[in-house]
Amino acid sequence: MTMDRTISNFIRALRNADVRVSTAETLDALGAVELVGYRDKAFLKRSLATVLPKTVDEKDTFDACFDQFFDFQDVRGEQSESDLGGDQSEEREGEEGESGDGEGGGSSGEEPKGKKKKSKSKAKKNNLYEEEEETDLGPGEITDPKSALGQLLMSNDRVELSMAMAAAGEETNVRDIKIFTQKGLYSRRIMDAMGLPDLNREIGDLRTSPQVPARRLGQQLKARRDFLREQTRDYVEKQFLLNADVTGKRLREELLRKIKLSNVEHRNFRLIQEIVYKMAKKLSALHSRRKKVFKRGALNVPRTLRHNMSYDGAIFDLHWKSVKVDRPKVFAICDVSGSVANYARFMLMFLYSLDEVMPKVRSFAFSSDLAEVTELFNRNKIEDAIAKTLRDYGGGSTDYGQALLDFKKNCLDDVDNRTTIIILGDARNNHGEAHAEVLKEIYDRSKRVIWLNPEAKLAWNTGDSEMRKYGAYSHQVEECNSLMHLERVVSNLLKQIA
Amino acid sequence: MGDIERIAASVASLQESFEAHNYICSDQIATAVFLAYQLRKPILIEGPPGVGKTELAKTAAEMFALPLIRLQCYEGLDESKAIYEWKYGKQLLYTQVLKEALDEILQGAKGFKESVKRLHDFGDIFFSEEFLEPRPLLKALREENGCVLLIDEIDKADNEFESLLLEILSDYQVSIPEIGTVKAVAEPPMVFLTSNNTREISDALKRRCLHLYIPFPDSDIEQRIVAARIPEVPPELRRQLVEFIHELRTLDLKKQPAISETIDWARTLVLLHAEALDPKMVTDTLNVILKFQEDIENVTSEVNSITARITK
Repeated sequence: MTMDRTISNFIRALRNADVRVSTAETLDALGAVELVGYRDKAFLKRSLATVLPKTVDEKDTFDACFDQFFDFQDVRGEQSESDLGGDQSEEREGEEGESGDGEGGGSSGEEPKGKKKKSKSKAKKNNLYEEEEETDLGPGEITDPKSALGQLLMSNDRVELSMAMAAAGEETNVRDIKIFTQKGLYSRRIMDAMGLPDLNREIGDLRTSPQVPARRLGQQLKARRDFLREQTRDYVEKQFLLNADVTGKRLREELLRKIKLSNVEHRNFRLIQEIVYKMAKKLSALHSRRKKVFKRGALNVPRTLRHNMSYDGAIFDLHWKSVKVDRPKVFAICDVSGSVANYARFMLMFLYSLDEVMPKVRSFAFSSDLAEVTELFNRNKIEDAIAKTLRDYGGGSTDYGQALLDFKKNCLDDVDNRTTIIILGDARNNHGEAHAEVLKEIYDRSKRVIWLNPEAKLAWNTGDSEMRKYGAYSHQVEECNSLMHLERVVSNLLKQIA
Repeated sequence: MGDIERIAASVASLQESFEAHNYICSDQIATAVFLAYQLRKPILIEGPPGVGKTELAKTAAEMFALPLIRLQCYEGLDESKAIYEWKYGKQLLYTQVLKEALDEILQGAKGFKESVKRLHDFGDIFFSEEFLEPRPLLKALREENGCVLLIDEIDKADNEFESLLLEILSDYQVSIPEIGTVKAVAEPPMVFLTSNNTREISDALKRRCLHLYIPFPDSDIEQRIVAARIPEVPPELRRQLVEFIHELRTLDLKKQPAISETIDWARTLVLLHAEALDPKMVTDTLNVILKFQEDIENVTSEVNSITARITK
């Protein structure tokens, strides 16, 4: 029963860390644990690593999670095992003799500070605290504590204490902790649930007591209470890391999808990248399936007849018409001058993350002169390629006319009626020549021209923006300044292709 | 039977047995095979090409003395190539031959209704076991004493094919509409699936499998692998060549050299009677370990410094 609990709690923590674990896999994990047992931690880890995480990324997360979770959980795990078998308690006895040096489960490793003090005082293994008298009352008689928590603290039983703390944690639903400011609150609640008010009252009474043994007890209890407080804070901290960390992340992800891409702070780039990959994966899955559906067609009668001629005309080897699915040819032309660079970054990231459904992306970057960067992307990692592109081609003043002319010169011949051209830019031409006639030529030859403008619609056609001229020669003009916009545009693109 | 149980009883004995068959495996690999046997679950193996994914299945078959049935996946693979197919030719031939017999059967039948009824009794024969051509998956289920089923490069097959596998992977059975459900005879096959991760495998499939990721091995294990495969390599050369390969893996290459390349290279060096690495020989044999001209050009300039570092 305890085993199941531990595993299901662990799986909860894993799910929190974004590892997908299904019910079937939970059952597998239980099967594996039954087989392997808790005794050999490394073995257990290796076993669960084959059952629970199913991608390389998930394995990394799993490793971190396992170490964190079972580091703490050992306290309870040890309890359940010392209940079960005798050899575990033997191990603990042996350890007592060495004054707490060794690897007997987790309780010795849990609180290194306590351990050091312990070895100094040569006290019993489970001694929680070495007395530091304020006024030296000398050794001697101590009265027995009356409150339940006091008795627990004085009994020096670390395992009992951890159990009580875990129980109190369950009672206060510490697993629901969401944000770090709640840590103090939960610590208080847990201590209250463990009986802190009673203890406080008792300490107060004892410290003013006229009898020396009672005062001695008061001092000890007070010190142990401080220790308890520290332990509780640790416990809550761990629970927070295991249970809450990701909820915050999810919240951030949700926000980042909607935020204007130019406002994304640099430290969030990694997270955005993850989101982009996730979105891209979703789109890939969606559209690769669609392609397959289209592949199945009607009966191809001539072919069937021809193939069945050798069977005396009996038709049983059927041939189907299949639609040859043309993979989309996408040309992305990105303005990478200062104002638009950030959008270009994410747009390129998106397109190249989709390589499964869109393998033929050619990309061009310009601020004044246009250059093809496809090779760069094929040879480098996406992030590196983007950084290089922005470094090499960004920075100049924008000249759309020149860029279009360059495009015409270099690769208009490659544009055919299967090509989709995506142009990302704010169409702010610094009052230069627009050369919209070049765009018209491209427009006539290609399947689609999609212009994505990161500016809000209201700002189009103001100042030096040439959006009206260019918009006339685009099949589709969209405002695009957040990941959600990007996702929609790309999804539409894939739909039209199918 | 008892043999398999003895070998798969613990991780250590598995590791030992693998080693006896010249397959050096890490704890993680042995644990995965152990669990797969004990829990009767398929293993999905991922990892860069050339780390011994396929080899693991082959060695397991050899070690357990079970037949190996291999299904190589490719785009367009479907049930008629993977599970079963009807022997159309045979069916056709039999109809031709039986044409005369038909007359006899129909003789004396009164009216159309009765003729059709008689034909009905006769018709199902053509879709019975005799006309069934079993393909690898069905064959694997029918192996009397169990077998090792290797489904190689599952990522190369279409998405739909994965769904086709689900039944066999979770319940060790396949359903054939005309015949019914075919279950594994006695011992379910040990199933190994490999993937090079050219596309994401569906969650449904992953859920039914244990997942094993085999990375490039560390230098220690790789040296042992080379020693097991090509015992003629002198120890010092073995260390040097493995370290050299490890250095290469840290560089930006189009294709990183895998274990199979290490082994090929070791074999080459033995043929050339090398005792230690020297820059000239390395440059001459680079094409054994690197498969792209670009990579070779990039590495050539580094050969001197890397060899110097390793041989010092």
